[in-house]
Formats: sequence, structure tokens, C-alpha cells
Amino acid sequence: MSKQTIRNERRGFFKAVAGAAATAAASPALFAGEAKHEGGGAYLAYDRKKIGSLEALKKSGTLNFSYPDAQSPCLAVYVDGEVKAYSTLCTHKGCPLVYNNDNHTFVCPCHFSKFDAAKNGEMIIGQATEELPRVYVEVKGDEIVAYGIDGLVFGRESNKLS
Amino acid sequence: MAFTINDRLPIPPAGCEEKNVTCEFCIVGCGYKAYKWPAGTEGTPRKNALGVDLSKQQPTYGLWASPQMFNTVTDRDGKKYNVIVIPDHQCVVNQGQNSARGGMMASTLFTATSFTRDRLKDPAVYGGNNLNRDTWENTMDLTARVLKKILDNDHPDEIAFKAFDHGGGGGGFENTWGTGKLFFSAIQTRSAAIHNRPAYNSEVHATREMGIGELNSSYYDSELADTLFVIGANPYETQTNLYLMHWAKNLQGANFDDKKKEYDKGETVQKGRIIFVDPRLTASITNAVELAGKENVLHLRLKPGTDVTLMNALLTYIHEKGWEDKEFVKNHTEGYSATLKANRVSLDEAEKITGVPKAQIVKTAEWIAKPKASGHRPRTSVYYEKGVIWGIKNYQNIASIVNVAIQTHSVGRVGTGVCRLGGHQEGYCRPPAPEGMPSRDKLVVVDKAAAEGDYLAFFIWGCNPFVDSIMGQRLGNAFKRRSEIVKRAIDRNIGADNETLADAIYRACKYDGGLFIIDIDIYPTFKSEVAHVQLPAATTMEMNLTSMSGERRMRLSEKVVDAPGIAKPDCLISADVANALKALYEKEGNTAMAKRFEGFDWKSEEDAFNDGFAGQGAKMHSQGGPTGTLASYDLLRKAGNNGVQLPIQKVENGKLIGTRLLYTDKKFGTQSGKAMFQPSPQPPMPKEVQRQLDKYEFFVTSGRLNEVWQSNYHTSRIPMTRGRWPVAPVEIHPADAKKKGIQNGDMVLLYNDYGSVRAVAYLSESVEPGTLFMAFGFPNSPVNNLVTDFVDPDTRIPFYKGTAAGMKRIGRVDDIYRSMTFKSRI
Ligand code: SF4
Ligand code: FES
Repeated sequence: MSKQTIRNERRGFFKAVAGAAATAAASPALFAGEAKHEGGGAYLAYDRKKIGSLEALKKSGTLNFSYPDAQSPCLAVYVDGEVKAYSTLCTHKGCPLVYNNDNHTFVCPCHFSKFDAAKNGEMIIGQATEELPRVYVEVKGDEIVAYGIDGLVFGRESNKLS
Repeated sequence: MAFTINDRLPIPPAGCEEKNVTCEFCIVGCGYKAYKWPAGTEGTPRKNALGVDLSKQQPTYGLWASPQMFNTVTDRDGKKYNVIVIPDHQCVVNQGQNSARGGMMASTLFTATSFTRDRLKDPAVYGGNNLNRDTWENTMDLTARVLKKILDNDHPDEIAFKAFDHGGGGGGFENTWGTGKLFFSAIQTRSAAIHNRPAYNSEVHATREMGIGELNSSYYDSELADTLFVIGANPYETQTNLYLMHWAKNLQGANFDDKKKEYDKGETVQKGRIIFVDPRLTASITNAVELAGKENVLHLRLKPGTDVTLMNALLTYIHEKGWEDKEFVKNHTEGYSATLKANRVSLDEAEKITGVPKAQIVKTAEWIAKPKASGHRPRTSVYYEKGVIWGIKNYQNIASIVNVAIQTHSVGRVGTGVCRLGGHQEGYCRPPAPEGMPSRDKLVVVDKAAAEGDYLAFFIWGCNPFVDSIMGQRLGNAFKRRSEIVKRAIDRNIGADNETLADAIYRACKYDGGLFIIDIDIYPTFKSEVAHVQLPAATTMEMNLTSMSGERRMRLSEKVVDAPGIAKPDCLISADVANALKALYEKEGNTAMAKRFEGFDWKSEEDAFNDGFAGQGAKMHSQGGPTGTLASYDLLRKAGNNGVQLPIQKVENGKLIGTRLLYTDKKFGTQSGKAMFQPSPQPPMPKEVQRQLDKYEFFVTSGRLNEVWQSNYHTSRIPMTRGRWPVAPVEIHPADAKKKGIQNGDMVLLYNDYGSVRAVAYLSESVEPGTLFMAFGFPNSPVNNLVTDFVDPDTRIPFYKGTAAGMKRIGRVDDIYRSMTFKSRI
């Protein structure tokens, strides 16, 4: 299965469950190797947002954007031939993370938590209780589009502020 | 199926129930607030229990929860409640900060649908290849009948127990008192061992005998130190918020105002420096470089087992330079010259033995002892932990450290101290052991004795010896074999009444080599395979619990939720055992024996507290000391998460007044009141370990990981930590890995004469070539399978940190490989 197909499937899944708890509870397997959360899950419905160009990202390695609103800084990175995107507020106490493009890790200058961008934001070591919230992105031609978040952004009762 | 909301959390409504909780994990003892409210109700972003505006993005360090800080529980009233447990911004210990461990407390609460669903809920009795759920009454009656037969026909020492002696999760003053009173006062056995070691002993006999209690300083004082001297410890990973909330400030030079306020007039105020003594390069060291700058961090990367030589070289060199505190040594200590003589080591010899360059030893001496620019003595806070406690020889390792601390007067002065860093919180309150308990150097190594066939009954209380004791694999095999004998006897008596069954069990133990095993815990473990009786205990947040931290700060951690099923606090389980025995003796008209089991008519954990910690004072071995009697649940509740630092001085206007720093009066805990130097020459490699070293290629050491707590009972279940560490990692130097054809993520087999264990390869320069570091405490890959049966003959403390093993590659287990990152942790 090509990477593109996997991405499309994920997107399909995501759309189907947005706001529909009952379906989500039955379908966790589709997220295998991808989901950060065990069991079923409910997800809010998010707006789609264009965040930049694939070519530019490939060249520079990183792409800053915010999602789902201006107060939630995120970073898209190009790792192992794939676009991955994360919230860059440390899930420990909310310090801005620093990305190291050489080894694809996020490092927190406040209490030294380290997260692996190649492994869905897994914490390498550190004091956070959550992996990095993953922003779901889809690539269409040269365009990268954000369409959802798995994981709660630091300092929010809901990823979508009321 | 467990159902999670991944991108929003319910909001605690204003006015909901709010409780104080002390972190159940490490000794730092961070304060948390628990909020609880009925499911189906909620606050609003603008009006809620926290009083923060959640309609906005919270700032860095803002007050709010992460998903792991939330849970939904069902109480015994059958109703569902939402709970959040968040770090307390008002607590002076952690000031609103959590570590990875503490921040997960809410998610470790029992729920029927989450990863905690297998918590033990009911008592159980073995029969027909199962542990069968049973009533408290019936389980206790059977247990008591077996114990009674032993007491009547044999000796109380035939009933052994291995139990927690700590505070925090599962421990605490209530529970150590309950178990202690049961075994020491009522049953009167001397066959005792502590949760993480094979005998009943202190881990710090040396410092106590030198007159210095091991927790003599405060976190605030560590902020004031000129030099932090850290030996055999990795505090970023194991005493996290002490390191991040207190030491970091000092290392960044961010608290000159406090230093000016606390120091003598005219004394030099400078940024803190830190020295680590560790064969391993750890995250504590690399992070310290970030905090303090390279020039303010020293890493003495010594050869394993040579700490004593290093300390003795410091003692010698500081004396040669005349940097000791002469007045203090002369008037308040004894044995200085004899110790100097016995411990004398030159810098050249020390460099040869330890592998630490001379220049680094000299620099260390300068940082800890050379007068500052103003002529004042430097203020040195000395900290040590398992690297030396569980090192080559427990007694000398610690004595050699305390020698240097006394020489430099690093105790009882502002900004100083010579303390263990600690594992769990503390919470010791027990009667003295029965008469005839041998001295420390003659103690029975109970775990080993049980493996060799001693004892008729064995309580394993809130600990897991097959993971946390010597020669884990042999121990497990022996318990299994002896358990099986009793199981067959039980299975031959299906349908029998308790008296007949108890008789069959007793005979299987007495005549056939069986061992009657009673397991008290919160989760099933390997013990479930060997236990004949299993009893479910309550833990933190399921009961009121008092403990004290690494700065002797005592708090009442309040009950928030009900324990699973019909689980009970350990103190009340102890009372049940005692009361069941009392009933049997009364029935028989044996008043003398019935009397021994009196005094357990406790209805709640508070009764146990009032009987023990608050009731006994100096009459018992209690960390509260004589003034413990001033404490009460009411006063502690009022003191909240800041509690009181023991010993309590007095109660003033309803407030408990405690003690920040010990030994400020220079009166030490010896007969003469003087601190006692102890000769401590370098011990040789124990022959048990040397035999393994001669035979196998790698030196194997072990230690804790930041994200894993002790025997991994919660953290092997929490999805995040289980995913991060599905099995224990073994750190291998890349050169060794190459030699062995091993890559990151390969499953490897480690083996020696004592046993074998599998681990996942994690390539790292944290270890030197020839040395492996394996994570400790994983029940599914226990490094202690490789640990020898050596114990320090003087203290009976094992050398867990040193053994040897061969290593070979097995292959790659794909899902483990996929689940883990192998990037550098340093
Ligand atoms: S540092 Fe220790 S006490 Fe504090 S939150 Fe972490 S585990 Fe708990
Ligand atoms: S805020 Fe990132 S580690 Fe604490």
C-alpha cells in the first residue's frame, strides 16, 4: 500500500467519525500504528486549512503554521519521506519547543522533554504526560492541508476554544 | 471498550469537592489538588472550580489539566464521577509542576473499562488451579487457622513477612504501623524483610551510626548551596521536581536574593555548581550543563565500585590542604585521625583505581571545601542514592561519603546537608522487632532462606520480590516449587471445611516442604501464580494516608475515590488478620494468646494513625519521634499540601510548626553527641560477583527510568509509558553493539550463572564499552534475574548495581521496535 493510499484512508476514517462518537468507538483498528489513544475516541470536527507547499517543506525541512487557530503554534516537518505535523506547545507546561531537523526531535528548553517527530511525537524522555498532539495533514499536489488534531493542545479544555 | 475524548476535557464546576493529594510516586512528595464532581455535570470555561478563564489559551505554566490528569470513576454508591488531579500551584515543593509520573495519577485510578481494570477487587483463595474470589471473613478465617497452627506447634519465626516500609503509594504511617503491629507485636516474628531487599535492615546504617540521620536538610537549603555534590544518583529521572524546581534555580543563579538573605555578612554569593559521581552519563548531567554551563558541572565518571576510593582521596587531599573545618572537627566529631589513617589514598593511586583524572579530584575538593573569595567555607549539599546504597559494599560506600561531609562541616548549616535522595516517600512507624532480633551483621537473609526451604508461611505485602530482590529467577523458581506442594494439598481437600483445609495446608508446609503464601497487593503479578491467599489493598487517593518527603515534610494525602471492589487499606487488612486470630484463641479459651492480638479494633485508617504515629511517640520506632503525638488528621488537613517538616516543634494557634534543618545545634545522634568518623577502606569486588566477571563479558548495572515507577505496576499499564517501554531497555555502547551485531530495537538475551533475562537493545554512549545498563523493576524483564546472592556482610544490603552477563542477539520483535523511539535520552 502506498503512503498516499494510507493517508487517504486515514482521512476517510477521520471524516466519518467527526462528531459521531458511536462510529468512532467501533473503529480504532483503522488507526493502528497511528493513534495515540487506546480504545475508541471522540474527535471534534475541525475546519480544513491550507498550510503551505510540499516542495517548500521538502527544501527547508520545516514549515510553521498555526492550527486550529492563531494561538496554537504548530510545525510541519518532512521525515522519512512523509509530512508530519505537531503542536509545538510542550505538553508538559506549554513552553515553545525547539525542533532539531538533524535528528527530527523536538526539545523543550524548560524542563528538557524530548519528542520524536518520526514516531508520532513519542516522548523520548521528559516530564510531559502526553505525546505531542499530532495535526492531521493531507497532501494534494503541492498543497498541504491540515484537517484535524489527535491529542489535546496544552492549556486548553478543548482544542477549539469557545 | 474504553472510550476516550482526545481533544477536549470536562471542566470541574465551581464549588465541587476539592482534596489534597501528595504524589504517590517519588520521595520529592509534590502536592496535588483533586477535584471531583458527578458525571453529567460540568463547569463552564468562564465559571469553574479553578477560577481560570478556560475560554482562552492558557499561558505557559498555566493552571489546567492534561488528559492523563483526568478520569471518570464509579464509586461504591454506584455513581460516576469525573476527577482531575493537577499539581498544586500553592505547594512549596512543586509550585504547580508535575513530573511525567505524578502527572499521570488520575489516569491510574481504578475504572472498570481502562487499563486499571485488572486491579485486585476481592480476597481470593486458591483451589482447582484458580484464585477464587471469596469473602473477607472466610479468607481471614482460613488464613488465621493456618497461622494459629504454626503459632501453637512451632515458632512465630516460621511466619515470615516481606513488606513495604515506605510512604507514598501503598505505604504511609498508617499502613507501616498496621503491618508492624501485626507482625512484631502480635505474631512476634523476627523473620522479616523489606520490600526492596532480602532482609529487615536500614539502607543507611552507616550514617545513622555516625550520628547523622539520612534526611537532615531541606529542598530550600539545596537552593542555597554553593556546590551540589551528587553521588550515585540520577535526580532528573528519579527525584525530578527537586532537580527542576529547586536545584535548577540555584544552578541558573536565579536566587541571589535568597542567598544574600541567608548567608553570613560579607560572604561571597555565587551561582551554584554541581558535581556528579556516576559511571554513567545521564540526563541529569547533560541537563545540568544546559542549566549551569559546562564550567559549573563536573562529571566524575569513575569505574563501577570505586566510589570509596574517590571519597577517601577527597578526605586525604582536603586534609593535606587544610581545608577541613578545624573547629568543628575538633569540638563536634570523633575519630578523625584514625579514619584519615585508615582511608589514606593519594591522588595518583585514586586516579589509577577510579579512572578519574587527578585534576578532577582536585577540582572537586576545591568546590566542596576550599574557602570562598570572602574566606567563608563553601556550603556543600551532599546527596547520594542507590548507586552507592546498592553498590559494592553498602556500609563503606555511605560511611566514606559521610566522612567527607563531616570533615567539611556539610551538615547542620544553611545550604548544606548530607542526605540520601530517596526512592519512595518515607512513612515508618512500627513497634521494635521482637526480642532477639539479630544485629545488622547477623540478620537472616529472609528471601534466600525462604528459597532454601525455611518458614512455613510467607506474607508478601505490597512488593514483588521476584523483581526487586537478589537472584530473582532462583527465588521465583523456589517459591513456585514450594507453592505447588501446598496447592496439591488444597486440591486434595475439595469441599473440606476451613479447619480441615488449614490442617492440610499446615501439614504440606511442615512435612512436605511447602510454603503457605499470602499476597497482598493492588494488581495481579507473578505472585498470583504462587499465592494461596490473595488480598486486595487500597492505595493513594483510595484512603487517607500520611507520609513524609525527602525533606521530612509530612502531609495528609486525602481519600478521593473508593477502592476497587471490596479492597481495603493495608492497616485494616492487618487488623482483620489479627482479629481473626483473636477470635480463634477466644473461642478456644486461650486468653493469653487472645490478648496478644488485641488492640486492632480500628474502623478507619485514622484509628490506625491515632494508635500508631500520633499515639506512640517515642515509645515506638517512628519517624515522627516523641513529638509525633502532636499530630492529628485535623491539624494536617489544615496544614494542606505544605504540611509540616518533622520533627514537629509545637502547635501554635492551630498550626503545626516543624523543623527545616537538623543538627543546627551540632548535637548528633551518638552517645557522646559528636559526629563519628568511620574508617572505610576500599572494599574488594565480592567473590560472587567476581566469579561472574571472570566468566562473562559485560559488567551489568541497572537503574530507574524517568517514565517508569518502581516495579512498573501502573506504568506498565498506562498506554503512553507502556508504549515507550514495552520491555526493559538495555543500554549498550555502540562499539559493543557493533561487535555483537546488535542494532537498536533488537531483542537481546543476557545470561549468567544465576539466570537470564531479555531486554531490548538501546544503543547509547551513556555507558562505557564493556558495561551494560539495564532498566530496573520490569516484571516482564527483571534484571535482578542476573543479580548474585551477595549481600554486604555488615548490613545485608545487596549489590544490585553490579553483576556480569553474556549477551547475544535474538532478533527483532517488530511491534516492540515500532512502538519505541531509540533516540538519545542524554
Ligand atoms: S517529582 Fe516525584 S513527587 Fe513530584 S510529581 Fe514527580 S514523581 Fe511525584
Ligand atoms: S514545559 Fe516542556 S518540559 Fe516542561
